[in-house]
Amino acid sequence: MNPSSPYATVLDDRGLFGRPVVERGAGPCGGDVEIDEPLVTGNKRYADVDRDICLHTERFPTGRWWVAFGIALAFLSLLVFALVTLFYVGIGIVAPNGSVGWGTFIVNFVFWIGIGHAGTLISAVLFLFRQRWRTAINRSAEAMTLFAVACAGIFPLIHLGRVWFAYWLVPIPNGRGPLWINFNSALAWDIFAISTYGIVSLVFWYMGMLPDLATVRDRATHVWRKRLYHALALGWNGSSRAWRHYEAAYLVLAGLATPLVFSVHTIVSFDFATSIIPGWHTTIFPPYFVIGAIFSGFAMVITLMTIMRSVFNLKNYITINHMEAMAKVIMLTGMLVGFAYVTEFFMAWYSGNEYEGFIFRNRAFGPFSWAYAMMFTCNAIVPQVFWCKAMRRHPVVLFVVAILVNVGMWFERFVIVVTSLHRDFLPSSWATFALTRFDWMILLGSFGLFFTLFLLFVRAVPTIAISEIKGIMDPTVAARSEGAPS
Amino acid sequence: MSLPTSARGVLGHFALPREALAAAAKVRDAGYTHFDLLTPFPVHGMDEAMGVGPSWVPWVSAALAFGGILTAQVMMNYIMVIDWPLNFGGKPAFAWPSFIPVTFELMVLFAAVGSAIVAIWAGKKDTVPQPPAMLIATGATIDKFVVWISATDARFDPAATLAFVASLGARDVHLVDAQGGSHAA
Repeated sequence: MNPSSPYATVLDDRGLFGRPVVERGAGPCGGDVEIDEPLVTGNKRYADVDRDICLHTERFPTGRWWVAFGIALAFLSLLVFALVTLFYVGIGIVAPNGSVGWGTFIVNFVFWIGIGHAGTLISAVLFLFRQRWRTAINRSAEAMTLFAVACAGIFPLIHLGRVWFAYWLVPIPNGRGPLWINFNSALAWDIFAISTYGIVSLVFWYMGMLPDLATVRDRATHVWRKRLYHALALGWNGSSRAWRHYEAAYLVLAGLATPLVFSVHTIVSFDFATSIIPGWHTTIFPPYFVIGAIFSGFAMVITLMTIMRSVFNLKNYITINHMEAMAKVIMLTGMLVGFAYVTEFFMAWYSGNEYEGFIFRNRAFGPFSWAYAMMFTCNAIVPQVFWCKAMRRHPVVLFVVAILVNVGMWFERFVIVVTSLHRDFLPSSWATFALTRFDWMILLGSFGLFFTLFLLFVRAVPTIAISEIKGIMDPTVAARSEGAPS
Repeated sequence: MSLPTSARGVLGHFALPREALAAAAKVRDAGYTHFDLLTPFPVHGMDEAMGVGPSWVPWVSAALAFGGILTAQVMMNYIMVIDWPLNFGGKPAFAWPSFIPVTFELMVLFAAVGSAIVAIWAGKKDTVPQPPAMLIATGATIDKFVVWISATDARFDPAATLAFVASLGARDVHLVDAQGGSHAA
C-alpha cells in the first residue's frame, strides 16, 4: 500500500487545485519535489474502473436517458421529414439562390466536419505528445468525431440537388463517356478527404476499444451479451504478444491520423480558397480553418463531457482538471481564430484590392453585420474569461462558454459562405439570404442525428478507455485487494 | 499429487505490473520461449522483459503507405492523362500538384486500415498457444497480470514448470490439462 500517493488521498474535485503538489525538501538532494495531481480520483481499484464505466452499458437505461433519447429522436424525425420533402419537391424549398449558391448546406457541412476534428486531435495528436489526460476523454471524443462526420456527410450529398446521382462523385469505371471526376477540383479532393477521415476515425476508434470490449465480454453475465461482445472483441485476451503489435499499430494510426486531421480541414478550406471570390481567395484559409475546427470541436467536447460526467457519475475520471485543460485549448484556439479575423481585415486593407476591401466592410457593417458581431463576440471575446483560473474550473461557466463557442462557430461559417457570395463583382446579381423553415429543420435535425447516435454510443460501449485509464493509475493503489484500506 | 500426462500449460497471476515485469524477465532467463503475459493494459518494458523485440507491424504500414501512393498515382494518371485528358486552358494534363491531396489521403487510408487489420491478425497468429479463455476470463482483462507457459515449449515439464512459476511468487498457480481442466500446484 502506498498511502501517500495522491491517487489514494484525493477523493474528488474538491481535492484538486490544478497545480502540482509540492513536497518541500523531499528530493534526493534536499530540493522540492513536484508531484502531478492524480488523473483519477476517488481511491479507485482496477476493478472499480470496470464497474464504474461499464455500469451504464449493463443496466436498463435511466429515465433521464429515455427523455434525452426521445428528444433526440424527435429532432432526427425532423431531419428525415425535411430530407424526404427536399428530395420530393426539389432544392427550391431551401434558402440557397442564384447568388448565394452555397448556403446552409455548406455552412452545416463545414460546421460538423470542424466539430469532428477535436476528437482526432485528442486521440492522435495528444497521444503523440504524451498528454496523459487525454485517456479520460478520447473514447467519447472519437465517437463524437464519427457522429459529426456522419452528420457532415449528409450535406454535400443533398447539396448536389439530385442526391440519387451521388455515386458520380466516385471515380468508378462507367458507361457515361467515360465520364471521370476532375482531380484538379478541390471538391474531388474533398470526397477522398472526408471518406478517408470517416473510415480512419472508425478504425482508430474500434482499435482503441478492442481491449475494453474484451473487458465488457468478461464481465457479461447474459449469454447473448457475452456472445455479442465476444464477437466484437475479436478474441482479445490481453496477451502481451498481442499488445506488442497492438501498441505499434496504435502509434502508427496516431501518426497517420495527425497529418490526416490537418489535411482534411485544409482541403475543406481549399473548396473556398481555390476559388476567386473575394473573402474566400486567401492563403490564410487552411490554418484558419484547422484552428477553427479544433476550437469548435473542443467546445463540443466540453459540452458533452459536462453532461456525461455528471449524468453518468464519472467525475472521478473526467475531473475538473481535465475540463480546465480543455478550457485552456479553447482559450488558445479562440485567440488564434480572433487573430485570423483581424488578419483578414488587415490583408483586405493592405492588399489595396477594392473587391477584398468592399467584402470585408460589407461583412462587418453590411446587412449581415449581426452575424459577424455574433461570430466575433462568441469566438474571440467570450473565451477570454478563461484567463481567470476560477472560470476555467467552474462547470457552469465552461458549459455556457462552450455553447456560445458552438453558436459562434456556426455563424463563422455562415459569415464566410453567405457574406462573400451575396454581394459579388456584379451588383445586379446581389441578393439576400434567409433560412427557410426547411433549412432550420435540417440544421436542428442534424443535431438530432448527432445526439441520437451519441446516446446509443453511451449505452453500447464503455465511454472511457478503460485499459488506458488503468495504465495511468498508480498500481500500488489500484491493485490492492477487495475491501482493503488504501 | 498426481499431474495429468497431457498438459496445455501452466498459469499463475500477479497483482502488480512490476511483479509481472520481473516474472517475465525470469521466465525469459530460464530459457522458456513459448510463454506469455496476459495483462489488462500494456505494461511498459514488457517487450524487453519477454525478449520478443519490437513489432514488425510498422514495416507493413510503410509498405501499405507506398501501396496507397502507387494506387492513387496510377488511378489519377490513367483517368486524367491516358483515358480522357481534358484541356484546362492549355495546362498540362499531368497536373502533379493537383494530385497531391488525393495521393496523401489514399496513403493514409491504405496504411491506417491495413495496419489495424494486420496488427489484430498478428496478435492472433504471431504468438504462442494461448490458455483456454474460461480460465483467465475473470482476471486478465480486469485486474490480474497472468503469466502463462505453454506446454509446447521445449523446456516444459509439468512438475518442474509448476514449481518454477510458483517460485516466481505467482498466486493461484495451476496446470491446465488438455481438456481445459485445471490442477492446483
